[in-house]
Amino acid sequence: MRSYSITYFIAEALKGLWRNGVMSLASIAVLVSCLIVLGAFSSLVANINYNLDEIGAVNQIVAFIDPDTSDEDILALRDSIAAMDNVSAVRYISREEAYQSEKEKYSEYPELFAKLEGDNPYTASLVITFADIDRLVNLEQALGEEESIYKVSKRTDIAATIESFKQTVILIATWFMILLLVVSVFVIINTIKLAVFSRRQEISIMRYIGATSGFIMVPFIIEGVIIGLLSGGAAYGIIRAAYGYAARSVSEQLSFLSVMPFDSIGWYLLGAFLGIGLLCGVVGSLISMRRYLDA
Amino acid sequence: MIEFNRVKKVYPNGTVALEDISFEVGDGEFVFIVGASGAGKSTMAKLLLREEKVTSGHLTVGQMHLDNMPDRVVPYYRRKIGMVFQDFRLFPNKTVYENVAFAMQCIGEPKKNIRRRVPSLLEVVGLEDKLKSFPDELSGGEQQRVALARAIANNPDMIIADEPTGNIDPQKSMEIMNLLVKINSVHKKTVLVVTHEKTLVDYFKKRVITISDGRVVGDHRGGMYG
Repeated sequence: MRSYSITYFIAEALKGLWRNGVMSLASIAVLVSCLIVLGAFSSLVANINYNLDEIGAVNQIVAFIDPDTSDEDILALRDSIAAMDNVSAVRYISREEAYQSEKEKYSEYPELFAKLEGDNPYTASLVITFADIDRLVNLEQALGEEESIYKVSKRTDIAATIESFKQTVILIATWFMILLLVVSVFVIINTIKLAVFSRRQEISIMRYIGATSGFIMVPFIIEGVIIGLLSGGAAYGIIRAAYGYAARSVSEQLSFLSVMPFDSIGWYLLGAFLGIGLLCGVVGSLISMRRYLDA
Repeated sequence: MIEFNRVKKVYPNGTVALEDISFEVGDGEFVFIVGASGAGKSTMAKLLLREEKVTSGHLTVGQMHLDNMPDRVVPYYRRKIGMVFQDFRLFPNKTVYENVAFAMQCIGEPKKNIRRRVPSLLEVVGLEDKLKSFPDELSGGEQQRVALARAIANNPDMIIADEPTGNIDPQKSMEIMNLLVKINSVHKKTVLVVTHEKTLVDYFKKRVITISDGRVVGDHRGGMYG
């Protein structure tokens, strides 16, 4: 019964990492940078999606009513819109209500409204909740035919802007990551090559004794695995801390945006980081050991 | 055991190292391979280790045909050979015990067997009291004895010693050679010693194969050098 000691392999791998400390650190640093970029961009994209969903959930458009329209006509219009296809609710906001609501919203600046006293610049509006965003165009068309509606504001414009911003972010992130991953693999290849080089005499003795390529290579592959896993762990820790900081400053300064709780993406990030780290480590080791596969 | 059949070895740079080599070595034989430096002795050892492949002809060791052996089989083939080098090739950062144990560890021998076998191997070479010494604390002769213990650790069929006394002073050389003879006679291993030390070869009166310019020019049992 043959038995190979895992402790031997791990001990050899750790010795290798220690002997080429600077290169090992360099490999870890580059891989960590790469994973941080990946983590930052994917958190950004996840949060964009999260906010898009919130905007989408509202499913509302606002029809502003011509100021010359009488209250009666507005109520009649409200009823006719409520009967339209794809409309699930219509809420009437009178000029007075609009004024009060804005006044409350900017309660920190009462002087703004003091100047307006007796003169209400707001128009009445109908907030229309629709059921299906895909048939929104038809609804807009129908609303456009109503003479007493002078403007329809829809939030889908914002959604489209955010969506295109998201696409740009994904594109940049993808290229950046590919570049960094390639660099990481190269640095790992170099690190393992140095480890192999510093042990070339041992390797030649092992060959004469009859050690298989597998036996000779395993410590170097473990070395790559350790680099990968350490990088993944470190990147996760850094992203976690940075996310908390970013979330706090966003909710303080950009309060209209919502920030996803870290826990809902944390596990995915950790999994992806460890997975990519592992893959880079193993691929790097295998490439640098390639020529030692010959007898 | 070993059969060279019209073996030719040409290196990629065009150097013809061996030309039309044919001889057989039987199981349990002790053979000196002698010749001036550059005669092709080391190439012969390299071919036997399957470090190099023959250019033409056939080389058979036991049941194994070395001329068409797949690379993945080579490690398992080498376990049948104990190799001893002129420069010992011990691991400097391992103790005597660890150096011998490592050879067994490399081929996946269970720890229990290693612990049991290493002390007896070191006893064979007379180093049982140097278990914990490092190679640089030993004399050349002692280092070579560690290498010998390592060479027989995995119970090989054959020992190849390439200039085993080349880095050792003369009286210690005799000890090493005596050990090789003992391994041959007591442990029943085929032993091939590549050397150019005339006095040793003459003293032991074993089979001597003489190589010159890549060809076999002499093969005498109980023979003398040259």
